[in-house]
Amino acid sequence: MLPFSIELRPGLPLTEQIVYAVKKAVVSGQMRPGDTFPSVRQLSQDLRINPNTAHKVIAALVQEKVLITTPAVGSLVAAPEDGNRKERAALLGLELERAVVEAKRLGLTLDEVRDGLEIHWKKLSPPTQK
Amino acid sequence: MNVIETHQLSRRFGRLEAVHGLDLVVPKGVVFALLGPNGAGKSTTIKMLMNLLPSTSGTAQVLGVDSRKLSPRELARIGYVAESMDLPEWMTVRQFLDYCRPFYPTWDTALEKKLLADFELPEPRKLKHLSRGMRMKTALIAALAYHPELLILDEPFSGLDPVVRDDFTRGLIEVSAQGEWTIFVSSHDIEDIERLADWIGVIENGRLRFAEELESLQRRFRRIEVTRASTTPAPQTRPATWLNYEESGLMARFIDSDYAVGDTEKRCADIFPGGTVTATPVPLREIYVTLAHASRGKAA
Repeated sequence: MLPFSIELRPGLPLTEQIVYAVKKAVVSGQMRPGDTFPSVRQLSQDLRINPNTAHKVIAALVQEKVLITTPAVGSLVAAPEDGNRKERAALLGLELERAVVEAKRLGLTLDEVRDGLEIHWKKLSPPTQK
Repeated sequence: MNVIETHQLSRRFGRLEAVHGLDLVVPKGVVFALLGPNGAGKSTTIKMLMNLLPSTSGTAQVLGVDSRKLSPRELARIGYVAESMDLPEWMTVRQFLDYCRPFYPTWDTALEKKLLADFELPEPRKLKHLSRGMRMKTALIAALAYHPELLILDEPFSGLDPVVRDDFTRGLIEVSAQGEWTIFVSSHDIEDIERLADWIGVIENGRLRFAEELESLQRRFRRIEVTRASTTPAPQTRPATWLNYEESGLMARFIDSDYAVGDTEKRCADIFPGGTVTATPVPLREIYVTLAHASRGKAA
């Protein structure tokens, strides 16, 4: 069994969908730092995807520092990075802009958007941090 | 090195041109799906690749060898399973596998046993008494057990029930994970292979319409919906990459075949000032249908 929830939808590149599902599982606490991550083989068998795709998923997650690979153990969920918060916040810029455009189009107020954001924020927060 | 490469490969049957000027390249290590409706030329292509049928003109290289000169040495590195395959009906599953094994120096008995168990095949039963799905699974074991470098599957899923399809897929992934190989699979049903393929080629009326990496295809296609501001008139000219363009009231809808985040939105803003734009991913089935229509339009 895979340690994260995913339902693959047609149309979107598989790699993107799986990478997103893993990130979501990590931020929501479904997977914790130090947990072992499924191998290429398990990922492809369980999702019935091409091992090439499974390989790309793990490579992308390692590159984005969501996972770390160790020769003996395989892949592990990485500890969250301290790094440069400003840089990381900048990465979110485009996504936020889109949400704002959509919200304005729907005629929502900033408070309403904040409320909506907060609901999602809480939903994805690991149970221990509540 | 490319595992399969054809140059202007063609085949006529009397006046019927079954395959016309096919230029196909299948890189090493990919799962390449050749899609097309029944009668498009998929099986004819595969038979030419396997040297079961001579071409009328053009050439095909398989594992670096001219397909017309494939010797038992190359054939021992190629696995082949076809929907229409003739199996020795009088043999039992056991006898059939015993019969195949000596032909292949790389035959892996442990893998054969594992697949037999995974597929739940009754070894003492005669092939003629097996269901269609069981026969296909038997043929697949005989093609997988020697770890071929290239696996060619001609319509492997057609007419199989979902459970057998799933067994089949798991068998492919099982062997896939054990080493580098290339799969060339034909199908008329996209959903069968959407998760497995990394390359897609579409063949229609014997001609290759396009061949492309699946992820790049999925990335560049989006369904775009624009709600025009009521004051903006509908555009007279549109980019050639906007396919299946339709309008109704203030709504314009089309498939952008050259989508790039931001660029498409900017272009829409130029053409529809004040409009709102939404972009949603397009399932492979729809990409396929859209491209088929577009290429037909061009040919007309």
